[in-house]
Amino acid sequence: MKKAFLLFSLVWTALVGAVETGEIRMLLEDLALERVEDQEATLQILADSGDEYVTAFVDAWRVGEIREYEPEGSELILIQAVSGKYVRVATGEVIQISNAVYESLEKNRAPRQLRRLLTRVTDTIGLASKDVNTRVDAALKLGASQDPEYLPELRKRFEVERNGTAKKAFEESIMISLLANAETQEELIEAIARLGELHSIRAKDKILAIVDSAKEAGDEALLAAAQKASQEIADHEELLKHAGSFFRGLSTGSVLLMVSFGLAITFGLMGIINMAHGEFIAIGGYTCFVVQGYFSDWFGEGSAAFQWFFWVSIPVSFLVAGGIGFLLEKGFFRFLYKRPLESLLATWGLSMVMRQAFRLKFGAANVQVANPDLLLGNFEYAGISMSYARLFAIAFAGFVCVLTWLLLTKTNLGLYIRAVMQNRNMASSLGIPVSRVNSMTFAFGCGLAAMAGAVLTQIGNVGPTMGQAYIVDSFMVVVVGGVGNLLGAGISAMGIGVFDQFLQPLLGPVMGKIIVLGVIILFLQWKPGGIFPTKSRSMDD
Amino acid sequence: MKLFDNKIEFGGYLGACVVLLLILPAMNAFFPDGSALHFSSFQLSLWGKYVTYAVMAMSLNLLWGYTGLLCLCQSLFFALGAYAFGMYLMLHIGVDDVYNTALPDFMDFQGYTALPWYWAPFENGAFAIAATMLVPGVLAFVFGFLAFRSRIKGVYFSILTQALTYAASLFFFKNNLDLFGNNFILFGGNNGLTDFKEIFGYDVNAASTQRWIFVMSAILMLVVYLIIAWLLKTKFGKVQQAIRDSENRVRFSGYSTTTYKMLIFVGTSMVAGIAGAFYVPQVGGINANEMTPAKSLDVVVWVALGGRGTKFGPIIGAIVVNIIKSYTTRAYPDSWLIILGAIFMLVVLFMPNGLVGLPKQLAPVLARIRGNNSTSATPAS
Amino acid sequence: MAHIPPEKHTSLILSVEGVEKSFDGFKAINDLNFYLREGELRTVIGPNGAGKSTFMDLITARTKPDAGKIQFHLDNGQDVDLTRVREHDVSQLGIGRKFQNPTVYSSHTVYDNLKLSLSGERGIFHSLFYREKPADRDKIYSVLETIRLVKHAEDLAGALSHGQKQWLEIGMLLAQDPKIMLVDEPAAGMSDEETERTGELLLSLQGKHSLIVIEHDMEFVRQIASRVTVLHQGHVLKEGSFDFVKSDPQVIEVYLGRQTRKH
Repeated sequence: MKKAFLLFSLVWTALVGAVETGEIRMLLEDLALERVEDQEATLQILADSGDEYVTAFVDAWRVGEIREYEPEGSELILIQAVSGKYVRVATGEVIQISNAVYESLEKNRAPRQLRRLLTRVTDTIGLASKDVNTRVDAALKLGASQDPEYLPELRKRFEVERNGTAKKAFEESIMISLLANAETQEELIEAIARLGELHSIRAKDKILAIVDSAKEAGDEALLAAAQKASQEIADHEELLKHAGSFFRGLSTGSVLLMVSFGLAITFGLMGIINMAHGEFIAIGGYTCFVVQGYFSDWFGEGSAAFQWFFWVSIPVSFLVAGGIGFLLEKGFFRFLYKRPLESLLATWGLSMVMRQAFRLKFGAANVQVANPDLLLGNFEYAGISMSYARLFAIAFAGFVCVLTWLLLTKTNLGLYIRAVMQNRNMASSLGIPVSRVNSMTFAFGCGLAAMAGAVLTQIGNVGPTMGQAYIVDSFMVVVVGGVGNLLGAGISAMGIGVFDQFLQPLLGPVMGKIIVLGVIILFLQWKPGGIFPTKSRSMDD
Repeated sequence: MKLFDNKIEFGGYLGACVVLLLILPAMNAFFPDGSALHFSSFQLSLWGKYVTYAVMAMSLNLLWGYTGLLCLCQSLFFALGAYAFGMYLMLHIGVDDVYNTALPDFMDFQGYTALPWYWAPFENGAFAIAATMLVPGVLAFVFGFLAFRSRIKGVYFSILTQALTYAASLFFFKNNLDLFGNNFILFGGNNGLTDFKEIFGYDVNAASTQRWIFVMSAILMLVVYLIIAWLLKTKFGKVQQAIRDSENRVRFSGYSTTTYKMLIFVGTSMVAGIAGAFYVPQVGGINANEMTPAKSLDVVVWVALGGRGTKFGPIIGAIVVNIIKSYTTRAYPDSWLIILGAIFMLVVLFMPNGLVGLPKQLAPVLARIRGNNSTSATPAS
Repeated sequence: MAHIPPEKHTSLILSVEGVEKSFDGFKAINDLNFYLREGELRTVIGPNGAGKSTFMDLITARTKPDAGKIQFHLDNGQDVDLTRVREHDVSQLGIGRKFQNPTVYSSHTVYDNLKLSLSGERGIFHSLFYREKPADRDKIYSVLETIRLVKHAEDLAGALSHGQKQWLEIGMLLAQDPKIMLVDEPAAGMSDEETERTGELLLSLQGKHSLIVIEHDMEFVRQIASRVTVLHQGHVLKEGSFDFVKSDPQVIEVYLGRQTRKH
C-alpha cells in the first residue's frame, strides 16, 4: 500500500506539480521511520512541494520534539508537540496523551545520512514555495551563501520559474554564487557582467572585492568587467536614491499643498495672514485620534469596522475644522480684514491659545493614531519602495486640487470667491453676499488644513505643536507661489517639498532647511512677486 | 535741539534714571536681607532681564513702529549678541576640576582637545563685545540687502524674517554640523551656554557684579532711548516715518529708501545684539529657545501692548508683559499661554495704540461718561 | 500720421522714441513716440488701458522698456538715458511725479511733508545732521501759498481733505523744483470749484516747468489744454489742440464716443 501511495504521489506531482500538506505529513512520518523504499524520490517530492511544514518538522526533529509512540493495537506513529498539544505527524490529528507519557516517549532519531539529506531539502525548499516572496527570499539567501551545493537546485528552479520577479531573483542568486564558484574565467566574467546588467546591489561588495583582487593579480579582463559592473550597480543605486528622495519630496509637498491652499485662499481673499492655520492641521490630527477612540469603544480594535475609523475621520475632520473656522471667522477674523500685519499678531495669539487648549485636553505628549491595514507596508516598483501612507498623501492632495478647482470654477460660491478676491467693494455693491462668502471660504480653507492633518497622522506625529512644523514652510509656499494664486501655491509646494527632500540626504535636515530658505530668498530676488505675481495697478501695494 | 516732547516725558525719563540707577541698586546694596526696603539680588537680575528685553523691544519699535517693517527676527539678533558674549563667558569658566580641561564641557564630552577656529577669538573680551554687534549686524546687512533690493515689504518681509529666525534656531539647536565630511561642533545645542564663572576677572555671580551689570543695562536702555529720541527729531527720523506712510512717495522724492531701510535694519539689529549681551550674565545662560520665531512674536506683542510708534510704549510693554509672565507662570502655569494669547488678540482688536495710547483712546469715552453723569444711562461705544 | 513731429525752434526736454513694453505677452506700449518741449503743458488722454500709467512708469524708470529710447535733455546740452537711471535718482534729475491717489505722509505735518520734498541732498549723513535754513523756510512758505495751505502748515497731512491732499502732493513736487512734472489725474475726487483752482494752478506752472497731465475729466482738459496727446492701445493716436483732437472722428470712435459727460 505504501508503495502504491508513493507511486501515486509521484504521478500526482508530475501531473499537478503540487502535493497536499496531508500527504507531505504522511511522507515525512514514513521517511523518518524508514518505511519508504525509494528515499531519493521521496526527498524529491518533499523538495518540490515547497511546503512549509517540512521545515517545521525538521526543526522540531532537531530539538527532539518528534517522539515515537505506539498506541495499543496500532503501528508505530510519530508525535509532535505543538503549543502544548500532541499531534500526530502523519495526519495532524490531536492525540490524547498526558505530558508524563509524552516525556517518557523515545525521541525519533533518523540515521545521519537521512538527516543530512533532509536538511538540504529544507534549505532549498523555499525555492519551491507557492508564495513568490518566499521563493525570492529563499533564492537570495542561497545565492548570498555562495555554497556550490545549492547551485544545481537554483539552476533547476530558474529553468521552470514562470514569475518574472522570482526568475530575476534566481538568476541574480546563481550569478552571485558563481562569483565564488565559477569554473572558468569566462564564466566568472560573464557572471559579473550579468550582475552589472541586473543592477544587483547585493553583489556590489563582492564585485568590489573582485576588483581589488583583480588589481593585485593584474588580471586586466577581469578588472575591466568588474569595474564596469560595479559602476553600473553604483549608478543604479544613485538613481534609486534620487527616486526615493523625489517620492518623499512629492509626499511632503502634498501635505504642504493642502495646508498652503487654505493659507493662499485666506490671504488672497481676505488679506489675512493666519498664523493659527497650523492649529487647524492639529485639529485634523486630533479629530482622527478622537474618532479612533470612538471606533475602538464601539467595535473593538481588532474588528474589521475599526479599520474604517481613518476613512471616516477625514470628512469628519473637514467638518469639525470647517465649523470651528466658520465660527472664528464670524467672531474674530472678520475684524482683521485687509490688515495683514495686525492679523499676523492676533492670529498668533489665537494659535497660542489653541495649542495650549490641545495640551490641556490631550496632554503635551504626542498621541498615537493607528494605521489602517490598507495603508501599512510598502509598494515596490522598480526597486523603489513607496509606503502606502505616503502614496495616499499624494493621491489625496490630487483629490484636494480637483475639489478646490471644482469649487472655484463650477459653483456659485467659487464665482463669488473669485469676484471678491478681485474687487471686494465692487462685488459687494453687485449684491454678492461678501460676508457669507468670506465665512464659507475661510471654513473651507480650515477644512483643507484639517484634512492635511488627518493625512499627516499616517506619516507623522500628532501633538499640540504639529501645526507649527508646517506653518513656516507653508508661508514660504504661499510667498513663492504668488499671493492668492492656487496654481502657484501648488507648484511651489511640490517644488519646495522635492527640493527639501533632495537636500536632506546630502546636508542633513537642518542645513537642508537653511539652504531651502536661502534659495527662496534668492528666488524672490529674481521674481519678487512669486511665480505668479498679483498684478496691481495701485501704486502703494 | 530739544529731545523731549513735553515735561511729562522729561519727568518720566528723569524718574526712570533715578529709580534704575540709584534707588534699586541702593536698596539692593545697603539694606540687609530681610529688611522691608531690601531689593533682593534675584529681583535685581530679574529686572535686569526686563531692561534688556525693553531694549530689544525699543529696537523693534524703531523698525516696526516708525518704519513700518514688522521684523520677526529681533529675537534672533538678540540671541546672536547673547551667544557672542556667552561664548566669551564660556571660555572663562576656567579649568574643570573633574575633567581637568579648560574647554567648554560639551566640547570635552565630544572628545575635542582644542578650540575650533570659530570659537578661539571669543576668548578675547574686546572681540566678543565687538561681535555682539557685528554678528547680528552682518546678518542683517546681508539679509536686508537681498530683501530690500527686491522690494520685499509688508507681510512678505515678516514671513521671510520669520523663516530666517526659524532656520537659525534649528541650526543653534544642533550640537554638531556635518558638512562635506567635516564635523563642526556648534554652540551647545539644546543646553546652550551656561554655568558661567567669571566676567572680565570678576565673579559673575557676586551680588556686586550683578549690581554693576544691572546699572550698565539700565544705562544702555536710557542711552538708547536718548538716541531714538534724537533720531526721531532729525530729518532722518522723518524720512523713516515717511517710508512707513508712503514708501513710493519717498522714493519718488529722490530718497534711496533701500539705503535708509538698510541702515535702520542693521542699526536695530546691533542694538538688539548688545541687549542680548547684557542679558546673558544676568540670566546666567543662553540657549536656542531664546531665538525661536515664537520669541520674536513675543517681542512684537510687547511693543504692540505698550504702544508702537511711541517712545515709551515698548519699555512699558516689555516690562508689563514680563511681570505678568513671571507671576502667572508660577501661579497658573497651565493658563500662561492662554493669557498671553488673549493679550495678543485683545490688543490688536481693541487697543491699536497700546497702553500708552489708552488715555487718548479713552478720552472721548470718559468725556461722554462725565458729560452724561446727570443722566443715568450711558451707551457703550 | 501718428504724431506731430516737434517744432525745431524750441528746445526739447523729453523725447520718447519707438518704445515698446509688454507684460506677459500683453503689449501695453507699442511703438510710442512722444516729444515734450520746455515749459510746455501737455495733456495726455486715452481710454482705460490705453497705457497712460505705464507711460508714466516708463518715464520715471519704474519700469524698463523692452525696446526704444527715452531721453531727458538737460540744460547743458547733455542727454540722459532714462532707461538706465534708478528710480530714486529720477527725481534728483528733475522729474517729479504725482500719483493718481494722493500719496502724502499722513503722520507728518503739511510743513514737514514739504520739508522732506525740498530739493537738495538726499543722503543719510545729510538727513541725520540737517538743520533747517531760513531759505528753506521761505521756500516752503512760498509753496504753501501757491497751494493755498498756509493755514494748515502745522496740521497733520492725514487730516486734510482729499482735494487738499492732491494739492499738497503737487506742492511736494514743486518743492523738488522739477523740470518735468508728471501729474496723474489731479482733479479726481475734487469739487468743481477745487477742480477749477487746480486748473489755474497747473496753468500758472507752465513756462517755469514742463508738465504732462493725465486726465479723464474732459471739462478739465478743455480748461488747461494747450496741446493734447491721445493714447490708444499703447500708441499715440492723435496729437494737437483740444478742439482738433475733440473733433477727430478716430478719437471720438475710441474715446469720446464711449465717454458720456458726467456731473
